[in-house]
Formats: sequence, structure tokens, C-alpha cells
Amino acid sequence: MRFLPRRRRLVAGLLLAPLLTGCFASEGGEESSGGGGGSRLRVAMAFPPAENFNPYGADATLLSRLGVTEGLTRLDANGAATPALAESWSRENDRGWLFTLRDAAFQDGTEVTPKAVAAALTRAAGAEPVTAALSGVELTAEAAGERRVRVTTADPDPALPLRLSSPGLVVLSAEAYAEKGAVSPVGTATGPFELTKVTGTTAATLDRFDDYWGGRAQFSGVDARFIADGTARTNALRTGGVDVAEAVPVSQVTSLDEVTRRETATTRTTSLLLNTEKGAFKDPKARAAAREAINTSALAKGVYEGHADPGVGIYGPALTWAADKRVKPTGRAGAAAVDGTSVTVATYDNRPELPEVAQVLKQQLENAGFTVKLEVREYSRLESDALAGKFDAFVSARNTMLDTGDPVSILASDYTCKGSYNLALLCDRSVDKAVAEAEKVTDTAERQDAAMTAEAAILGTDAVVPLVHQRIITGVGAAVSGVQLDPYERGLVGVGTRR
Amino acid sequence: MLKAVLRGGAPVLLWRAALVAALLCGVGLLPWLSRTDPALTVLRARSAERAPTPEVLDAIRTQLGLDAGPLKLLGDWFGGLLHGDAGRSWISGAEVTPSVLQALGVSLLLMGGSLAVAVLTAGAVCARTLRLGAGRRPDGRRSAGTGSALLSALPDFLTASVLAAVVGVQLGWLPALGWYGPQWMVLPALSLGLPAGALLGRMLDDLLPGAFAEQWALAAAARGVPGRSIARQALRRCVPGLLPNFGLFVVGLTGGAVAVEQVFDIPGLGRLTLQAAVAQDLPVLQAGTLALVLLAAIAGGAARLTARLLIGPALRDGALLSLHRPTPPRPTTLPLLYGGLLLAVVALGLARDPLRLDTTARLQSPSWAHPFGTDGLGRDVLARVGHGALSTLALALAVSATALVLGVLLGLLPRVSGPLVDTVNAVPPVLAALLVTGVAGSGPSTPALAVTAVAWAPLAAHTSALLQQERATTHLTATRALGAGPLQLLRHELLPAVLPPVVRHALLRLPGVALALAALGFLGLGAQPPSPEWGLLLSENQPYAERAPWAVLAPAAALALLGAVAVTGGGGVRWPRRVSCARRRDSGDTGETGDAEAYANTEAEATWAEPPDPAHPIRPEGVTSDA
Repeated sequence: MRFLPRRRRLVAGLLLAPLLTGCFASEGGEESSGGGGGSRLRVAMAFPPAENFNPYGADATLLSRLGVTEGLTRLDANGAATPALAESWSRENDRGWLFTLRDAAFQDGTEVTPKAVAAALTRAAGAEPVTAALSGVELTAEAAGERRVRVTTADPDPALPLRLSSPGLVVLSAEAYAEKGAVSPVGTATGPFELTKVTGTTAATLDRFDDYWGGRAQFSGVDARFIADGTARTNALRTGGVDVAEAVPVSQVTSLDEVTRRETATTRTTSLLLNTEKGAFKDPKARAAAREAINTSALAKGVYEGHADPGVGIYGPALTWAADKRVKPTGRAGAAAVDGTSVTVATYDNRPELPEVAQVLKQQLENAGFTVKLEVREYSRLESDALAGKFDAFVSARNTMLDTGDPVSILASDYTCKGSYNLALLCDRSVDKAVAEAEKVTDTAERQDAAMTAEAAILGTDAVVPLVHQRIITGVGAAVSGVQLDPYERGLVGVGTRR
Repeated sequence: MLKAVLRGGAPVLLWRAALVAALLCGVGLLPWLSRTDPALTVLRARSAERAPTPEVLDAIRTQLGLDAGPLKLLGDWFGGLLHGDAGRSWISGAEVTPSVLQALGVSLLLMGGSLAVAVLTAGAVCARTLRLGAGRRPDGRRSAGTGSALLSALPDFLTASVLAAVVGVQLGWLPALGWYGPQWMVLPALSLGLPAGALLGRMLDDLLPGAFAEQWALAAAARGVPGRSIARQALRRCVPGLLPNFGLFVVGLTGGAVAVEQVFDIPGLGRLTLQAAVAQDLPVLQAGTLALVLLAAIAGGAARLTARLLIGPALRDGALLSLHRPTPPRPTTLPLLYGGLLLAVVALGLARDPLRLDTTARLQSPSWAHPFGTDGLGRDVLARVGHGALSTLALALAVSATALVLGVLLGLLPRVSGPLVDTVNAVPPVLAALLVTGVAGSGPSTPALAVTAVAWAPLAAHTSALLQQERATTHLTATRALGAGPLQLLRHELLPAVLPPVVRHALLRLPGVALALAALGFLGLGAQPPSPEWGLLLSENQPYAERAPWAVLAPAAALALLGAVAVTGGGGVRWPRRVSCARRRDSGDTGETGDAEAYANTEAEATWAEPPDPAHPIRPEGVTSDA
């Protein structure tokens, strides 16, 4: 019984070495292919593709941020629908819209025809589970002549052009749907960059699409890496491993130079939702007391280190129209005196700031006389309990523009009796009425007015206390410019992004 | 040789297979056990924003075939497995086998690197003992082991964060991120390997003096055999006692390196199984667990085989000696010093308010007003460390003590516990917590149960490894020949020899237990913010590790100090009367046996100088024959 001779062990080691190299990840694309000019952009993305780049799920946003896919319309800075693949559109009748297509090509070389667009929209409408923008909407699309597509909905939908800007309603070529049960955006979309290679959930390689209708992109391609950990993402930028890092966490901001930080107000609002159905906050006066106890600017400054705006309403400053149209809430109850009422405040730790927000809230509420117990869990372990009303209050960060691009839809889903995501369990007749009114309005400006009226009605019930409006911080290497800083978080890399 | 691997033959093999099957079935039933709707967790893993309307959930259920029920799903999965198909991920719809194999490869490589670091670290920890032993100066003052105790209490995520920030980003010496080649391995391997190596090194250092004091070593030295050879044989004598734990590290580092994988962005198995466990992506979770269980079986078999290679003949012939220390580990004042320091910190902290937050004074560096600085919400770190001490320590001690009892009891039955240890150790900690929650519900005691459920395994492995050697000692043969019954043997010979190193091992793992308890917080188990529990302090301040190092270093240092107290205290405190009190209480906690005489025996054999007993015939050839 002896040890293996040393030499034999060494040889075994050498033989193993090439085997082991297979266990390293492959680099996401080689440096600068050079052909056609321009260098490649390296991007660190925050969310890895969850469903293999299925365009009907959350990965749709990822594809749209990387400049791969686009739909018929897109949102401009004011939240209005502007042309993308559709040049123009008009409303035919209550239920029907007519979209005129522009001259564009798919990345596989085929032309964007009304037939292809109608087929793509029909596919999206029939997806299981249905894409978020079409939830509760029955949509049919058909070709209408040489350049036009007719889109009809079962119920009148004044916000259809906004809805069609959703990243989930992308237009892909017929090839994308060739395989049964899976939709592949690899080389079948219409954006300025073409997805060429996907390395699991760690990296993706994109090349420039030279025939893009909006002109040739400056970069010859994009190497995207998916780095879920915020500190790691920031480190990638600091070591020069990437040119652009998405969503730098607040705790890491000071480690970046001023010139590399780009701050954008987003439509994401962190708010405290109070349980209006049972528990201590069933009483509007207790809710009013909670609202008065909370100091939102302490949160914006103390927890978000100034990289957020104090809460003013459900819609934040990212929606440029909201501030001018804001209506003062009416019918608020007077605050009751609180003496040791105990409440449970729940939140989730998937966003690292939320537990900190909850702890500051705890102190503020306790100063006002409440006794507060915190409950912090991973989001999926918390949600069903929250929706069932097991907590008195819930701190949540919610994107107020959702996938529909329509400001009214969040009010309907979050604050009406039938809402599917009504964490405050609010069921108030005047709120329901105001939201229903807003849903009927077609004109963008009037729809926004109606949304603000509904917002005032909701704030009047004190079911929700807006805490802060978050800003997203994108780390951009000093040499890079033209990164899209989109408040709706749908764009990042575009034609004009350059070094 | 094969016999060594398949120790115990068919019944043990059957038992092992049954355990693996039970585990996989447990995973397959997880959502139904824990009553958490998999459609909802899968939806959340796919999209964080999507409202969970009944239509969406129904669509997911239909897509995954959840309505068929768990048994059908399990049956299908096992059926597919026979054809080498582990199904498709519920989240991404991609095939499971390639992604699990890819992640396994990455993790195995990382584990290999970490073990290399661990072996070097362990070598460094024992270097002094080896040198002294080789020079036949065993009386030289042994190191107290403070350094290695501090090192073994280092949480890997803290080392990882610091290394990534300092070496990777600020100095730029090594890549801080990714997994593209050998130079990317260095930092992660260091973060994982250092604490593991320190722990193994401590355990080895515990045994070595005994080996150097054996007759063969004296004889060899007298005959002029070089000290180097003697040291090598001493290592060979002691390493088998550690091999099972080494095997556990192989598996633990492969599947449990989640934090390090996150910090360095390594696409390993730890992250994959964690994500799958949280999202209840059962096919991925089952395949990942299966891979780890198989690895555990291989590692366990390899450990047994190596032990047999090293000291096989001696084991067979019952020709070993009990590894008793030749001299008592010199009682020192060190534990008093460390304990006093810890107490002082706790006492100072207790006088302050741990909950009052002041967001205008966040992340302040240490000053007179805040001796340990403030955390991310402007709370006094000293106060939080002080107030967290009691709850952290009480729970961690209780869990460690229970794990010790369980470990020793099960370690006495190696045929039953061997496969169980391998299987339990292969279960990722989060999965263990979910399974325990599923069975026991999520009460206040669940996190303690979940950690105990896995914490006993290394102790049992250690116990049975030492026991195997102890059973093969010559003095045991003699005692048996004198007519001692099995119970008497156990009480007077086996336990007294095995217990002390295992107890010291348990103490060494105490900080790890405290960390494991806190790591379950995100499942809604255990301490919730703003409680100042130490593990929670570490995790909530981790994002600020670079900007405000004091906020993480303070609780980490407190944990490390605790480890140092445990290790140095294990060697005795200066006043002998104190020692016996402390020991008795210790054993009282574990409830090992109820007999004062046995304890006296334990102490005498473990801590006091014991000249070779004339009643025990000595046959040195067992170890040295084929040197």
C-alpha cells in the first residue's frame, strides 16, 4: 500500500488539464470583429434571461433594451405613442385601428409585410400565458392591403397604440415561429442589433444589423453579460470589463466617478400600501395617522442617498406631464391619536433598499405611537400572503407604467375592487368610478387628466402612501456616449450609442 | 479494495439507494409539502412584475402539467431519467441535463481550486507541530491556534467581497469577475479554501502530537530515521481521521458556494440550485441534488478507500494505538483574554441603543461617539454587536450542542449514518430549510431545526472515523481480552478517546452555525430586521463592505473571537479546577452519558499526561511496517 508515484500523478494532472478548460465559461464574443468598422460595446445587464429570450415574458424588456426587437409603436419621453415599425395610424371605429407600415426588413433578410406583422401579433395574442400587455384584451390582426394592418379588439380600446409599444408585442419574421412551442428572436427581429449567440444565462452576442430602417448603428456589435449581483456589476465597470453597467445599486454609487454615472428618473414608485380590509388600518383615521407620521424626504435622502425623489403621488417626476396636472386629494380623514396600536409591515429583500426603507418606516411609525413588527422575505415567499391581506402594511416598489404604457392600467389593477394586484385590498366606489371614467378616454392628454383625477381619489382614501420615486443609475464608461436613458426602462443600446 | 468502497455490502448499498430516492421524492413533493404554489413561484422567477391573475397561473399550471399531481410528475421524471433525460426547466423551458452538467463542471473546478488552497492552508496551520515533531521536540510550546480559529470563522462572502474589492478592483492584480480561465480561479478559491483549510488544519493539529508520541516514532527517532520521514508517517497516521470531513468539504464546496459564486459571478451549481429551490423549479432542483448526491457517494467512497490505503493493514490487524496527546495542551490564559475581550465588547454594547436609527449619520467611521462606527442606517454598530450576542450565541450553542449529541450518537453507528451523512451533506442548505419547513411548518424553531438537520453530519463523520481507528487499537484488544463488555468498552475506552476532538470540532464550527442560522432569513425563517442578530448584521452590511468596512468587520471579528475562545478554551484554561467545571457543564449540555466517573475518565485521558499504559501491549509494526 503506497502512494501513487509522483510522476504518475503529474501525468494524470496534465491529461486532465484540457478536460478542465471545458469547465470555464466561454467569453461572450471575441473582441472587435472589425469588419464594417466600429468597435463592439460590452454591456453588463442586471437581469439574466429567465425564459430563453421568450419575447412574451419578462425577457421581452431585455431584448428591447439591447436593441434587438421593436414593435409597431414606441413611447416618447412624454408617454405618448410615436412611430416605430408603423409610420402612422388612425382609428377606424370603436374597435378597429389601421396601422400603416414603414419600409423595413427583418434581420433574416425578408421584408416586413402586413401579413408578417399580422401573423406576429396573432401569435402574441395567442401566447400561453398571454403577454402582460394583452392581459384581459382580445386582439385580432389582419393584413389590409399593400402597406396596412388592421388591428381590432373585442372591447373598445382607446389606448391600443400605447399598448402596442409594449416589448411583448414584438414583430418577428415567420422563421421565429417555425419551431412548435417556442419563439426564437435569434436573427428574426427588426432592431438595429441582431442576436447571434446565446450562452445560457451568462452571456449573449449581438451583431449590427446593417439594413436597419433607422440607419446603421455605430457599434459593430454588442457583447452582453448578465450579472445579477449589483456589486459585481459595478465592479465589472470599475475594472473596465464592461463599457456600460445597468442598474448600479445605491450602495455602490459612490464607488463610481461622477462622469460615469447617469441618473434617470424612472416610473418606479416605492410606496406603503395599507391594508384597508382588516387590521389596524381598516380605520381611515389610522391610515391618515400613518401618512402623517411618514417623512418621505428622510427616506429619499437617508436610504436612497439622494438618488430618489420624495414621493408626491402614484406617478412620479419621470412622467413629465404628471406634475402640472396633479389634483389635490380630497376627502381625506383626519388623523386619529395612536396609542401603541400594533401593526405588521412586510417587505421583500429582492431590492436591497426595501428592508432599509421598512426599518426607517418602523422608527417613524413608532415615533407616532404605533408598535411595528417587520416581516422581510424573498418576494415569491411573500406575495400570496400579502395579496391575502395577512399584513397590515406592505412596502412595495412598483413600476407605474407596466407593459401597457398606459397610466390608467396600473390604477385598475392595483386599486379597484376587481384589481388583480390590489395589495391594499382597496374597494372604494368613488375610486372605481374615477378609474372607469379614465379608462374610457381616448385622447392622450385628456386620458392623463382623468388618470390624475383618479389618483387624487385613491390618495384620498389613504390606502397608499407614496414614499419615493426611484432613479435608476446607469454606469457608462467615460468613452461611451449616446446610451439611451429611458424612464420606461425599455431602451438602453441604440443606433446612436457610440464610443 | 472494492470492498472498502462498498463497506457493509448490500444492506448499506440498499440503505443508501433508499435515502437518495427518499430525498429526490422529497424534492419532488416540495411544493405540496410546503403548500407554496409552484405556479406562483415559477411566475415570479420568470417575471418580477407580472400580476398573478388566475388566468396566468392557470396557463402556467397547464404548461407544466401541474394538475396531474406530484406523483405523476415524479414518475415521469424518474422515467425520463432512465433514458438520461432529466426533463426541462420549469422556468426557462430549456433542457436540464446540459445546464446542470455545465454548472457542475464549473463548480467542480472551483472546488478543486479551493481544496488546493485548503490543503496548503491546513499545511501551514500544522507546519509548526510537524516541525517540532520531526525535530523530536514535542515539548516545544505549541501554538494556541488562535490564528487558525480566527481564519476558520471567516464567512466566505466577506473574504470574497474584500478580495474582489481590494485585489480585483483597487489593485487590479487579478480579475474580480467571471470565470474564463485559471487566473479567474484564484480569488474565489482563496475565499472558499482559507476557512476550510483552517478548520481541517486545526483538526489535524489536534491529532498530530499523539502520533508523534507513539512508540514507533520514538523507536524510529532512536534508530536515526530522519525527522522528515517521521513527520510524513505521523501525517499518514492522522489524515485518515480527517478524510471523511475532507470528503464532506468536496461536496459542500461544490454545491454550497452560493455567496462566492454571486460575488465573482461564477455560473456554478450553488447558484443554480438556489434559484431552482426558491422558484421551485423541480426538474432542475432534482437533477442538481442528484448530481450532488452522486458526488457525495463518490467522495465518501474515495475517502474510505484512501483511509484504507493509508492505514489499512493496521486497521485490519487491530494494531493501532490510541491517539492521545503526550502532554496536556498547556492550559493558557488566552481563552480568558479572548473571552474577556468579547465580554467587554458585549457589555459596552449592551449599554447602548441598538435600534435607534439616524439616517443623517449613516456609515460613519469609528469615533468616540460610535467606537465601531455606524451602519447603513446610522445605527451604532457596537450596540448592535453587543445586543445581538446573547440571542446569536444562545441559539448557535443550542444548535451546536444538539448537533454534537446527534453526531456522536449516529457516528457510533457508521453503517447507518455513513450513507445518511453523505446524503444529508449533499443537500444544499436552502433546500434542507425548505424541506424542514415543509415537514415542520414555519414556526420559530424551524431555522434551528433546519440547521441542526445538516450540522450533525460532519461531527458524525468525524466520530465514526475516529471510532474506526480507536476500535483497531491494541489496548482495546487487551481490554476486551480482560472480559470487558461492549457497553463498558464504549463508556470507558471508546467515548473518552473520541469525544474530546469531536467536541473541539463542534466548537470550531460554532461560528459557522451562527452564520447558517442567519442565512435562512430570506425564506422568512429566523431573525427579522431590525433585530441585531450577528448573521443578519453581516448580511445587511455586506453591500457596504467597501465603503464602511467597520460595519461588517465588527460582527465578523466578534464571531472570529468566539471561535478563538472555543478553540483555545478547548485546550484548557490555566486553573485546573476551572477546567473540570467547564468540562462537566459541556458534557452535561450534550447529555452524552450520565456517569461522573466517565467524565473523570474522559478528562484524564484527553487532557492529562498519560504515560503508555503497561496494560496495553504495544505493537508498533502496524503503522511503520511498510514505511
